[in-house]
Amino acid sequence: MSAMRGYPAMTRAEFRLFRREPFSVVFVLAFPLMMMVLLAAVFGNSRADARDMKNGMLIWRGVTPANYYTAASVAVIVAALGLMTLPINLAGYRERGILRRFHASSVSVSTLVSAQLTLALVTFVAGTVVMAIIARFAYHAMLPKDVLGVVVALVVGTAAFGAIGLLLAIVIRSSRSAQGIGLLLFFALWLISGTAPPRAVLPTGLRDIGGLLPLAHLVTAVQNPWFGFGWSATDLAVLAAYAIAAGVPALWFFRWD
Amino acid sequence: MHAVSAKLEGVENEWRSENVKRGQPATGTLVVEVEGLRKAYGPVVAVEDVSFGVLEGEIFGILGPNGAGKTTTVECVQGLRRPDGGTIRVLGLDPTTQAAQLRQRIGSQLQDSALPGRLRVAESIELFAAFAHDPVDCDELIARWRLDDQRGQAFDSLSGGQRQRLFIALAFVNSPELVFLDELTQGLDPQARRATWELIQEIRQGGTTVVLVTHFMDEAEHLCDRVAVVDSGKVVALDTPQGLIEGLGLPSVVRFTTFEPDLGWLEKLDVVESMTQHGEAVEIRGTGPVLALVASELVAHGIVPLDLRVDRPTVEDAFLALTGRKMRG
Repeated sequence: MSAMRGYPAMTRAEFRLFRREPFSVVFVLAFPLMMMVLLAAVFGNSRADARDMKNGMLIWRGVTPANYYTAASVAVIVAALGLMTLPINLAGYRERGILRRFHASSVSVSTLVSAQLTLALVTFVAGTVVMAIIARFAYHAMLPKDVLGVVVALVVGTAAFGAIGLLLAIVIRSSRSAQGIGLLLFFALWLISGTAPPRAVLPTGLRDIGGLLPLAHLVTAVQNPWFGFGWSATDLAVLAAYAIAAGVPALWFFRWD
Repeated sequence: MHAVSAKLEGVENEWRSENVKRGQPATGTLVVEVEGLRKAYGPVVAVEDVSFGVLEGEIFGILGPNGAGKTTTVECVQGLRRPDGGTIRVLGLDPTTQAAQLRQRIGSQLQDSALPGRLRVAESIELFAAFAHDPVDCDELIARWRLDDQRGQAFDSLSGGQRQRLFIALAFVNSPELVFLDELTQGLDPQARRATWELIQEIRQGGTTVVLVTHFMDEAEHLCDRVAVVDSGKVVALDTPQGLIEGLGLPSVVRFTTFEPDLGWLEKLDVVESMTQHGEAVEIRGTGPVLALVASELVAHGIVPLDLRVDRPTVEDAFLALTGRKMRG
């Protein structure tokens, strides 16, 4: 009963807090958007580029660079929230004794994290809409061909990066360290996951490493339905595996103080 | 003269038996039972060996200096920390394995906790009420803890005293049978402190048992039915505040002035431990009903000082005697 009233109450509180401090996620939304605009401006939206090959792969996955970056940048928002916003928020909550306060009043980890992830998911959907509209007007990029497929990819990606963020929040003690480490992880992932240079142009070693990490899978999982290539079951499965592999120990070892 | 002394002896004996009675353990239903509690953080032993019981309906104090292990003790009792050793039962539950059940029945005001900075007072109370099986009326709670004017104020903008009142209010949001208040009046001004004491007494009248962690002697003396004095991770005494003082046989000091130079007969009283005279000023240290006995003896000798007064020992003196150090500083 308390869980049933607890989750909506906590979610509403998180939405209120977000509304009162919307700039807390400005980087998370603005950075991917800015990168999409800049990278699409650099590489353009020419049909001729769609067939470019490198290392035996289609550089732009058979679509124009602007389309490529629009869909990829949606995945970047998810990664930024998971690797930065979530661990920074949770470490800050713990540092200030907010988690202790919640813990003593029957708030469960899953309720707390579900509320945060619900807010994150709504942010992603809003970010995706903004991204698609701007790309449409600026570069005549396509709108998602399979909206449901994109939403499913976002949900599974949120679970994976939410779990990773939660695990980071446990490993990293302070919100300041969480900022530093989160930022570092985020940029490393961003550079080797096909979200900055396309994966086809990366040296083999880096491409292989990127291929093991979750962001590359999220990029494909979002791009495929966006471009009308169908759902990518393999990538969704890898993301789900990440969600479980990071989420189970994170919930198990969660520390309130 | 002999008649007076014999009578006085009788009074003293009566007082002694009264004192023995006070020292007896109180009886009733135990809502908290702690036996041999031990908790270390790495090499630092915070709680070495703590045992006590809290009776239903009482205000039980845990008194000690900072770092004595008070907070760790109550955190273990509330199921917020896992003890390294010993047994704990709270309302018939084991806090290490039945913490979720226990938390619905107890209220907690924690030291060093906070709320999200932009969350407002009324929103916080409603949020926490949503997690309670048996929540109280939020508006009533806000009014009781005088937070009406702060309803729409964000946590970050509250003063120390307002935050403290909010945290105390949050401890009562789930209609608890037992509340733990850790440094109840920290940050409150003297007036708010008095008001808070009155509310705590009112809450106890309503049947809620209160466990109060404090390093304020006057708070323990004023509010608590019984007090456990904790020092360096151990309970060094457990009694009523009055019993603590009397059990230690701490002296009262009786002072008066008189022109009578020879007061040797006063020292013959059993209750008098020592007497010093500096000119007209007389200072007598003694235990038990020293003031009454000295006064009656003075009157019997035809001496009626206008400035006869007594300084009784306080819980602070008892603490000093028990731990060999002052509470503050």
